[in-house]
Amino acid sequence: MVLGEVIQFSFNVLFRASIYVLVAIGLSIIFGSLQYVNMAHGALYLFGAYAGYVIAGTNFYTDGILASQGQFGLDMGFVAALVLVPVVVFAVGVVMERLLAKPFYDRPLLDQLLVTFGILLVFQEVVGEIFGKSSLQYPRPDWLQGAFELPGIGVPPGFESVSTVRVLAVVLTVVLIGLIVAFYRYTNYGLAVRAGTEDTEMTELLGIRVGRPFLLIFALGASYAGIGGLLGGFQFGFSYQSGVEIIIPALVIVIMGGVGSLRGTILASLLAGFSVAFVGVFVPSMSTASIYILAIIVLAIRPNGLFESEAIAQ
Amino acid sequence: MSGEDLTPSVETDAGLISWETWDRIKHTERFIAGTAIVFVLTFSWAITSAPVLSDIFQGYHRLALSMLAWMLLGLSFNLLLGQTGLLSFGHAMFWGGSGYAAALFAIHVHDAPLLIMVAGVSFSVVLGFLAALVLLRLHGVYFAIVTLAIAQTLYRLAREPLEPLTKGINGLRPSFGPLLGVFELGEYHGPLEFLGSGMYVFVGIFFVATVVLIARIRKSPYGLIFKAVQENETRARAIGLNVWRYRFAAFMLSAFIGGLAGTLYFMVTGPGLSSGSVVPERMLWTNSGNLVVMVVLGGLGTIAGPLIGVFFYQWMGNFFNGLEWTIPGLEIVGPVGQYWQLLVALAFTTVVWTYPDGIWGMITDFTGALRDPRSLPEKTMEKIPWLGSGDDTRRGDR
Repeated sequence: MVLGEVIQFSFNVLFRASIYVLVAIGLSIIFGSLQYVNMAHGALYLFGAYAGYVIAGTNFYTDGILASQGQFGLDMGFVAALVLVPVVVFAVGVVMERLLAKPFYDRPLLDQLLVTFGILLVFQEVVGEIFGKSSLQYPRPDWLQGAFELPGIGVPPGFESVSTVRVLAVVLTVVLIGLIVAFYRYTNYGLAVRAGTEDTEMTELLGIRVGRPFLLIFALGASYAGIGGLLGGFQFGFSYQSGVEIIIPALVIVIMGGVGSLRGTILASLLAGFSVAFVGVFVPSMSTASIYILAIIVLAIRPNGLFESEAIAQ
Repeated sequence: MSGEDLTPSVETDAGLISWETWDRIKHTERFIAGTAIVFVLTFSWAITSAPVLSDIFQGYHRLALSMLAWMLLGLSFNLLLGQTGLLSFGHAMFWGGSGYAAALFAIHVHDAPLLIMVAGVSFSVVLGFLAALVLLRLHGVYFAIVTLAIAQTLYRLAREPLEPLTKGINGLRPSFGPLLGVFELGEYHGPLEFLGSGMYVFVGIFFVATVVLIARIRKSPYGLIFKAVQENETRARAIGLNVWRYRFAAFMLSAFIGGLAGTLYFMVTGPGLSSGSVVPERMLWTNSGNLVVMVVLGGLGTIAGPLIGVFFYQWMGNFFNGLEWTIPGLEIVGPVGQYWQLLVALAFTTVVWTYPDGIWGMITDFTGALRDPRSLPEKTMEKIPWLGSGDDTRRGDR
């Protein structure tokens, strides 16, 4: 019984942390490498949730422009959504980098914060007008909602109250984070991004085109946020305001972990996941606010975050 | 307008009604104070019952009252971002925090309006002091995010854990007594009926006083140092200024004016004119976000800008929102009124992107250019980066 509770609690923590880290990791890399703070990153979470909703099922909408269209959606199932959403949001990320982010790389951080906040608001309103402003729930197939089962073995001991989607999300996140860290550390593109982070001009002077590696890492971060939107939207429901609602904790996490530090972002996500799950047991209403309290404490002690990067400290 | 190419005219010779005189007068504190008084005296009348204007604005007296409070909050925000370069994404903490302090004071201690003001503002200043201890160690984006975090935490606290005190989502609606025990704050009829209510005069006095205070700060050496800190922090430090101290002062002033705004807003949103109301949503991030949109849209770093921004936003939300007109052929998308938030967001993004001076900047640039109409197209091109000739200096492929 105790084992079951411990495992259930751990997966609560890990699932929350997974959603946060999926959104925060792209934000952190872009912030750290390009000195670009992208509040519009929240829109990618939003796109992920809505794209997944359209791909996975077919639904009626109660308000917005689609309300008059009857049933709308591709009805391809959740697995198809899991495959297609990152692709779609990757493409959105490419467009966003070229059209919206690139003109702002050289502007001051506060300008970027304001303009990307504006872009986020625009996207949010467009989505709200099309899909309606009421919050939505994914259709929930049994195989995702039920307790996690291993083929041949059945439900592992202690997993009776851990739903498949949580296990799936956590495993997927671990793999994805492993991939992006490997990409960042061991590939030539990753090397170019790291070099560009150190000194963009010098890197370019050496004949390395950093534009495309930056674009790739931006779009990769975008598709991660899209997957975060799909999984988070599935578990918690979503609305046109979900983009802003996720970007606030995500930015807090990035800053708490130390901008540009992958270790910091992952650790801060885990801390945030823990505090949300832990406080949620005792004072449910303060669960999300606990991240902010945590961040205020951390930043009061270490103003540059857990793993500080001197580049951003201005 | 540099003025050196002005052809001598009768007006300049006369020396009384020349552009130079006007340029000099319009920046004096007395002129600003006078304008503020005239504005307050006519504002409620203009949007509720003036012949043509009231049809355009479709305002009502309570809207005028709440707009004045929002304008004060805009000035408070502008003091930070426009004067000192600190972006606060959490001004809702003063907006709602002072409202709660005022409401609780009215319920448990005393119902005199002036004492309620003192309570609300004091709480805001104390809150600002505590927040500043953490916030002023942080820079730029960090500062912005943590202000947001503090406001969100307070919102959550007011909503549930402190429910015995704050009544949770139902909020508090205390009523208060007459001003100084004599003047009723309710509706007003008589020779000065265009002012609408005693409450309006009460709010108006605080409004004018705040504008005068801010004009004073902007002109004073102390306020100029705020500007210096914004322009170049390193340099300000190098010439021996204690940057932390000036930031702290600016933040406290902002908290003070924010508290004023929040308490007044509490007072004008009650069920009647002599009762107040405060709900947890007042500390929600949307208020802070909308405030950023309003002030930046109106024009940062000026006095008129925040006021215009607040007015534009509230007008869009109250009048444009109700437009039933649909674009012919596009009936499917519904009436244009429902897109007001989208339009505001687009306008905000465009302003930050291409025209950082905002609406007020557009007005001053345009009227400035009108003095020399031939230069108008050229100046417009200069202002908008991607129309001007600066295109080829932009970065190529990174």
